[in-house]
Amino acid sequence: MTYTTTSSDDEIERQIAYRRSACPHEYFAEQRAKGPVEVDKNLDSVTILRRGDVEAALRNWQDFSSEFSGIMGSEEPIIPLNVDPPLHVKYRRLLDPYFAPKKMAALQPAVSKHTDDLIDSFIDRGSCDFSTEMAVPLPCSTFLSLFGLPLDELDALVRWKDIMIRPESLVEGGNREAALQLQAETVREIYGRFAAEITDRRAKPRDDLMTYLVEAEIDGEKLSDSEVLRTAFLMLSAGLDTVTISLECIFSFLVNHDDARRMLVNEPGSEINLVEELLRWETPVQAVAREATRDIELDGYTIKKGQRVSIGIASANIDPDGLPGSDEVDVRRGDMRSFAFGGGPHRCLGSNLARMELRTVVRRWHDRIPEYRLADGAELTWNSSVLRGVDHMPLVW
Amino acid sequence: MRVTIDSSRCQGHGRCWDVAPSLFDADDRGHGLVIGDGTVTAETEAQARQAVGSCPEQAVILTD
Repeated sequence: MTYTTTSSDDEIERQIAYRRSACPHEYFAEQRAKGPVEVDKNLDSVTILRRGDVEAALRNWQDFSSEFSGIMGSEEPIIPLNVDPPLHVKYRRLLDPYFAPKKMAALQPAVSKHTDDLIDSFIDRGSCDFSTEMAVPLPCSTFLSLFGLPLDELDALVRWKDIMIRPESLVEGGNREAALQLQAETVREIYGRFAAEITDRRAKPRDDLMTYLVEAEIDGEKLSDSEVLRTAFLMLSAGLDTVTISLECIFSFLVNHDDARRMLVNEPGSEINLVEELLRWETPVQAVAREATRDIELDGYTIKKGQRVSIGIASANIDPDGLPGSDEVDVRRGDMRSFAFGGGPHRCLGSNLARMELRTVVRRWHDRIPEYRLADGAELTWNSSVLRGVDHMPLVW
Repeated sequence: MRVTIDSSRCQGHGRCWDVAPSLFDADDRGHGLVIGDGTVTAETEAQARQAVGSCPEQAVILTD
């Protein structure tokens, strides 16, 4: 006897998106076996899947351009994400030093304190929602420190970033038009708020990132207000949720792998390789966006000029073709190349910051809460997003 | 054995100076720099190989 599926196209799409974030290893292995790209007909976009193609596309900014706008509801291209070389190189020369390792090391004590403060708030309770009580607030507090904003603005910041990243989840019935309107209004509100901060820092310079941007020069010229705004907007849109979901991905692995958890407890320093390997294995940011500047042939498939392209780093990171062993996880391994932070000229500007935050949380957590597990009966529900995370992770100890 | 960095490929991922701090340092942008003449000893060979394997851009080169 056979059954006929009654799923609508929407339902099928929903199931695909869920599997991609919940079971990426099986999902991408299946996709790679089918062909070099995965086509999304609704969005007229393609995802490049195979390791060699992904590595080449990340480096090839000429054919895979980043110069388009519309990221997170910003009508203006954001900096340096939506800029190609040679101008991109000038922005990166300016911004890279602020996010260089020594700078990030100086910020580490503040991140460690924020982590401890958060742990203090729930440790005696013997339980917490790791997502809402650690993974979300920690990168937000780091952002406020970087930008010299008061910590009591944390709730407002969380609201901003939620609206920017998943507006559909915050309007009644997930109405797409209402969501886009809310997102557009919020982006205007954010730009307005940053504009006020720019005026303030011009008058009263401080030791913070906003002052650095306001005083920065390219070829002897200060950045315009628009450039400062579009750079600050990048930090907000790229620096918060990515760290949140990375923490969720790492801890979702740890609650299911006691041996890895015990290693962290017993071997201080082991978090360095573990974070690296889990960023690769879990690849929280599954793809990065580009636009094809010409027709491009990939093993029989033609990507059309002007088409939106997702470079599938989650798939490439676990593709054993050309790199044996990459379809297995080994948290002690420190020598597996990974594109968790992208690659080529657009390698994640905040990668040193993100690593520092992730290592700090993993270290402090296991120093203070060595024994923990997922609450009885709790199941992790993955968010079906290319930024893969879970909204809730109830832990007990 | 010696290590070198192909600076035309390096994008500042920072893996080399992270996994092999006795062989590599970072410049002000976080791009890798070889310390001294890059000579690899028996003690630093494992680190050197780890750096080669870790670099996403395959910019770290180990030569005999």
